[in-house]
Amino acid sequence: MHAPGCVAITGLRSYVGQRLAERLCARGRGPRVLGIDLRRPWRLERRVPFERVDLTDPTANARLAEIFVRERVEAVVHAAFRRDPTPDLEADHELETIGTLQLLHACAAAKVSRLVVASSTMLYGPYPDNPQYLTEAHPLRGHPDAHCVRNRVEVEELVADWSRKRPDADVTVLRCAWIMGPTYWDRVVRHFSGALVTTVLGYDPLLQFVHEEDCLDAFEQAVLERHRGVYNVVAPGALPLSMLLRLAGKRSLPVPAPLLYRLQDLASRARTGDPPAAFYDYLRWSWLADGERGWNAFGEPVYSTREAWISFVSSRRMRQYR
Amino acid sequence: MSEPREPRPNEPVDPLASDPEGAAAEARARRRAETSLLQEALASLRAELRARLPSDERGIDWLALFDALRVKLGTTGMRSLPAEVDEFGLDLAALERARPWLDLLFERWWRVEVTGLDDVPRERPCLFVANHSGLLPWDGLMIAHALARARLSPHVPRFLVEDWLLSLPFAQPFLTRLGGVRACRENAERLLRTGCSVIAFPEGAKGATKVFRERYRVQRFGRGGVVRTAIAARVPLVPVGVVGAEEAHPVLFRIESAARALGLPFVPVTPTFPWLGPLGLVPLPSKWWIGFGEPIRTDELAPDGEHDEILVWRLNEQLRRAVQARVDEGLRTRPSVWG
Repeated sequence: MHAPGCVAITGLRSYVGQRLAERLCARGRGPRVLGIDLRRPWRLERRVPFERVDLTDPTANARLAEIFVRERVEAVVHAAFRRDPTPDLEADHELETIGTLQLLHACAAAKVSRLVVASSTMLYGPYPDNPQYLTEAHPLRGHPDAHCVRNRVEVEELVADWSRKRPDADVTVLRCAWIMGPTYWDRVVRHFSGALVTTVLGYDPLLQFVHEEDCLDAFEQAVLERHRGVYNVVAPGALPLSMLLRLAGKRSLPVPAPLLYRLQDLASRARTGDPPAAFYDYLRWSWLADGERGWNAFGEPVYSTREAWISFVSSRRMRQYR
Repeated sequence: MSEPREPRPNEPVDPLASDPEGAAAEARARRRAETSLLQEALASLRAELRARLPSDERGIDWLALFDALRVKLGTTGMRSLPAEVDEFGLDLAALERARPWLDLLFERWWRVEVTGLDDVPRERPCLFVANHSGLLPWDGLMIAHALARARLSPHVPRFLVEDWLLSLPFAQPFLTRLGGVRACRENAERLLRTGCSVIAFPEGAKGATKVFRERYRVQRFGRGGVVRTAIAARVPLVPVGVVGAEEAHPVLFRIESAARALGLPFVPVTPTFPWLGPLGLVPLPSKWWIGFGEPIRTDELAPDGEHDEILVWRLNEQLRRAVQARVDEGLRTRPSVWG
């Protein structure tokens, strides 16, 4: 397929959705962009037409299909996922799993020929028996206690299933590592943005990031070109947590694992907005992804893990001095 | 794709659209040139500065000064740190710092004697296969250290470590920094591909959990994973016998009931552990002997030999016998446990 004439982005208010819409619009001869979300983002160019669709609505599939046919949508970017876990398990499941199902129905009905799904390398799950670098073929083990990760694993299963049934459609799944950069913001970034960072006592895993621009690059290419299959989107190189903190001049607050998990469990139950205790497993075990396949398809990222981290840290510092 | 549609009015036609290579290159080039949100803000700030600050009169380039200051503030104290690890977490600086301690263990504590190094192929990765003893990977560290001292190859040799050991607090960062890698086939193959020699202990948990009266009896080598890895990577297999390590932590008997609560395969009882507490983890100063055997070449085998089960199991048993022979030789030649 050539470059699509019209691209629909679900989850326009998500980071990837909004930045990707801006990028596609900024291309001189780029495709038309159609945004789909619950509300229009307040800071977005007027050029992006917007449709309000609630993915959790039982008739969303019919409505989406109607929009896709009317606007002649050729490619869909599915980014309507929560950036941060919520304590509301039901709502999470409705939006992520059922929402994806609705979207897939609509894509099938409207004969959309390209689907790009935002995913995460977190779905591989942090386990002490992971190989050092997880390739795309590795099973998604997720995390038994993190329902947000479990939902996303289910989403990937749905997408893989759909893609098997429709060999004529190009389905691309981009599993991104933790995103770092001057403008990206989520719970992970929040965890790392203080001067004191909680860590698990006695563990120092290698971490890998991807810079926001490199991540968006991959998305842009996946929309414009034909890249079937699953790709890890990660920056080259990995650094131990302690080294990252030293590099940024941050202090670590090591807490023994049993105490840390209990405290975090209490905090997330009290709905203070903290991630579930499972989050610390990601700062304990290895879950590095092998980016080789993605680099071959989308080109070597501009930022390495170290550079992405420095870009994030230096932009935060600038904010302090402003 | 649905049927090709006619272009709408006002809609630009993209001649590059059907050329993915061109589109990719264009995207990448534009991406490097394009300004992000932050850079845009900086550009407007810069423009404002240009408007307000007198630049030509006193000959001060305020803009350059501003940019330099920005970079300075953003990255103070960051680039000066030469923090680097390789893709498996080996920290060369930490390894250099640990060298004197490893030398101390090697020369004074265990008085390690090394033989057969001349047969080991130089300047190319090998898969070293050794007998395992004790729960702590002292044998792996010492073999790696012996190889590093012999300077056979510019790459640091890596030793494979059981999962459960890497799941213990403090052991994980410590071993990773010094070149320990989780034992699994993906890791070994990746290391061999990058030119690093790998030291494997295919007895696995059976070797680590041997009690003292079973010492120096080399157990079955798993299901031939080591042989398969060597055939796939086309590297020679080098049998290694380690004598003396069994006496460093003689496991008298093991307690399996309390082990589950602690997350260990079993709780070992040695003459010093757990009686002396953490002091009991200090290994006994037995005399060590490390013997390298004749390499078994795998590059003459068919590349798909790893699927030939008969061949793999035959090589596996040959390898086990070679390791056992080295161990027996070491046992015969040593005058006593304490040398």
